[in-house]
Amino acid sequence: MRLRIGVLAILGVAAVTALVLGLTSVLVVRTHRAALLAQLTRSADQLSETIGRSTYYDMLENRRPALHREIVTIGQQKGIDKVRLFNAVGTIMFSSDEAEIGRSLDRQAEACNACHAAGQPLHKLSPRARARIYQAPDGHRVLGMIRPIHNEASCWNAACHAHAPGETVLGVLDVNLSLAEADREVAADQRHLALFALLAIAASSLLLWWLSDRLVLHPVAALIAGTRRVAEGDLHTTIPDAAPNELGDLARAFNDMTRRLSDAQRQLTQADKLASVGRLAAGIAHEINNPLTGVLSYASLLLKRPEIDAETKQDLQVIVRETKRCREIVRGLLDFARQTPPRRQPTDLNEVVRHGVAIVMNQLALDRVALDFDLAADLGPVPADGNQIQQVVVNLLINAADAIDGDGHGTIHVRTRAVSAPARGHAVVRNATCPKGCELQDPHVRIAGQPGIRVMRIVGARESIVHLDPVYGRLHHRDTGAGEEGVVPSYTCPDCRARLEVAERRCEACGTPAFAVRAGELGSIEWCPRQGCTWTRWETMDARGPESFAELIVEDTGRGIRTEDLDHLFEPFFTTKGSRGSGLGLAVTWGIVEGHGGSIDVESSVGEGARFTVRLPCARPPVVEATAPVIPDAVRSPSLSDPARGAA
Amino acid sequence: MSQYWDVLVVDDEPVVRDAVRLILREAGLSVAAAEDAESALAHAALATCRLVICDMMLPGLSGLEAVRAFRRQRPALPIVLITGYATAGTEAQSADAGATAFLAKPFDDTELLTLVRHALEPTDVAGKKGRP
Repeated sequence: MRLRIGVLAILGVAAVTALVLGLTSVLVVRTHRAALLAQLTRSADQLSETIGRSTYYDMLENRRPALHREIVTIGQQKGIDKVRLFNAVGTIMFSSDEAEIGRSLDRQAEACNACHAAGQPLHKLSPRARARIYQAPDGHRVLGMIRPIHNEASCWNAACHAHAPGETVLGVLDVNLSLAEADREVAADQRHLALFALLAIAASSLLLWWLSDRLVLHPVAALIAGTRRVAEGDLHTTIPDAAPNELGDLARAFNDMTRRLSDAQRQLTQADKLASVGRLAAGIAHEINNPLTGVLSYASLLLKRPEIDAETKQDLQVIVRETKRCREIVRGLLDFARQTPPRRQPTDLNEVVRHGVAIVMNQLALDRVALDFDLAADLGPVPADGNQIQQVVVNLLINAADAIDGDGHGTIHVRTRAVSAPARGHAVVRNATCPKGCELQDPHVRIAGQPGIRVMRIVGARESIVHLDPVYGRLHHRDTGAGEEGVVPSYTCPDCRARLEVAERRCEACGTPAFAVRAGELGSIEWCPRQGCTWTRWETMDARGPESFAELIVEDTGRGIRTEDLDHLFEPFFTTKGSRGSGLGLAVTWGIVEGHGGSIDVESSVGEGARFTVRLPCARPPVVEATAPVIPDAVRSPSLSDPARGAA
Repeated sequence: MSQYWDVLVVDDEPVVRDAVRLILREAGLSVAAAEDAESALAHAALATCRLVICDMMLPGLSGLEAVRAFRRQRPALPIVLITGYATAGTEAQSADAGATAFLAKPFDDTELLTLVRHALEPTDVAGKKGRP
């Protein structure tokens, strides 16, 4: 039989309580009974002594009627069963029970038993030995106390001359006290003790049940359920871990374990997906590019024939154009698989946007989506890779068009503008490390698309992982444990446990020692550790003053993005379009913007559309320098910026 | 009678060989073709041609190995490598192996001709180039 821990504990405690209380009760009852008996024995002895003395003269003077009266009177007292006198040979001479006067007692009778069985003279026996307990015919117990009446000189010198000087014991006084009262008292004691024991067992069991249910069974049940869910493959399982005890520690360790498992699994899946897309791209490139070479070559040769008519020429142009589009698709896949660094040149962002719009125009017209332009005239050249930025524009436009259901009411607003903004609010920490150099940036937990900064927060004995918002000044931290307003936790590196507090820096708002992470050559970014305090400082970036950006805003009136999807939007293979989406568009977009040292922001609410804001730095030299191009410029097709294609 | 070829094209895909041959012929260049490196090395054209266009992924000897083999016979011969799958390191690899230029498939006639003319220019003394 399988018993739950709680039931076993309760049964155990009940058994121990029962045993201890039972033994105590037995001991108490016995002691009580013995004390009662001893007291009654003393009373009986005293009584027999009193009777002996008060009847002395009646006996000496042989006043039998008086003696008889006295014995009967005493025998009628409450608690006294019987008082009687029998002579040396056992004949009952006097008794409060008049019916037995004259009867002879056998030596085996319990009244004689004390002396005659012991074979000792009666007068030498202790009161305890002279006492006996027996059961009366009606069932109640009786304490009998015998007292020998010894022969004395006054007896044999008395006028009656009834006794000879040679006799030792003349008779025995036998006093019988009822034990009914005492027995009732002991029985009541026993009942009280049993009741008390039962109550104690019930109370301790109840307390134990409550404690074990609350402290052990409940958390253990949650842990078991969590383990089952993990076993079934749900690695996002968390269990309540607030208990300040070992089970709470276990729950926290469990949550940490599942989180790490889930991270590891996600990384594996991601790596696997990337490897698959890489293989797929290579396979497609190899298999498709050869036939495409044939199509492109023959079609372009045919185009040059002077004898072809205008209609054929147009058709051939379609073939060339579409083949080149295929080439771009394959190239795009390869680009994604190997993340080509941008080749930056001064670029007119407005021009790139116009080309991008031209490319998607057909699709927008089909979906009956209205397009709205607002291109800033004062936008200077942006150091950017025109092809890549055009891909960004196309991706954002296609995305916006897809978000609109095509009922003819959707609008896409495309805007560009020059902005000058301080670092606070947009500068992104990209390579955060702890003082010992451990990587803190976590690509798996993104805050509005940017990898969060993973740190360990410690409050007392509680540790929790917090992802700090990498956008300077925004403070949208991702927090798994609930923080308490005003509490000052300490922060450490989750890998090497180095403390992140900076001794010489204090929060300028509340004076609490600040904590910081390093951002490579861009110095340190500091935060106030006190919960609820919003102070933060990135000196290097503040010192740079406002920076110029070219901003591209693509806004749609589509269905919007759910909050839970916002953080995953830029992950490769994440799509909300089902089989229609590859999940690569925004991932590529993010990669391109990131490669330009820019940032991309999303704001959206469900049902009200979405706004993507791309910011490209205008002046600052590129963070990632372009490497040698894979394909020589001379032969690399103008790809997406090809005006011929754009016009289509 | 010994035959003269301007260009030797090496590709295991007939459609690519034919397309290259057609484009170059239209430009007035004579073209010999081989389907792998081994037959190219044995081809009479290798001794006299002015340019080799070679695929990188060939059965048997790879394109990079073929470039080294061609170079042993013709140290100054311009060689253009073509491939359907170019990775970030491909161009460096092809340059290391001794290729003169590199072209990603698919290409159209203009792209191929631009590159071929560019490759032929320094060694062009006979004035074959530029023929209508």
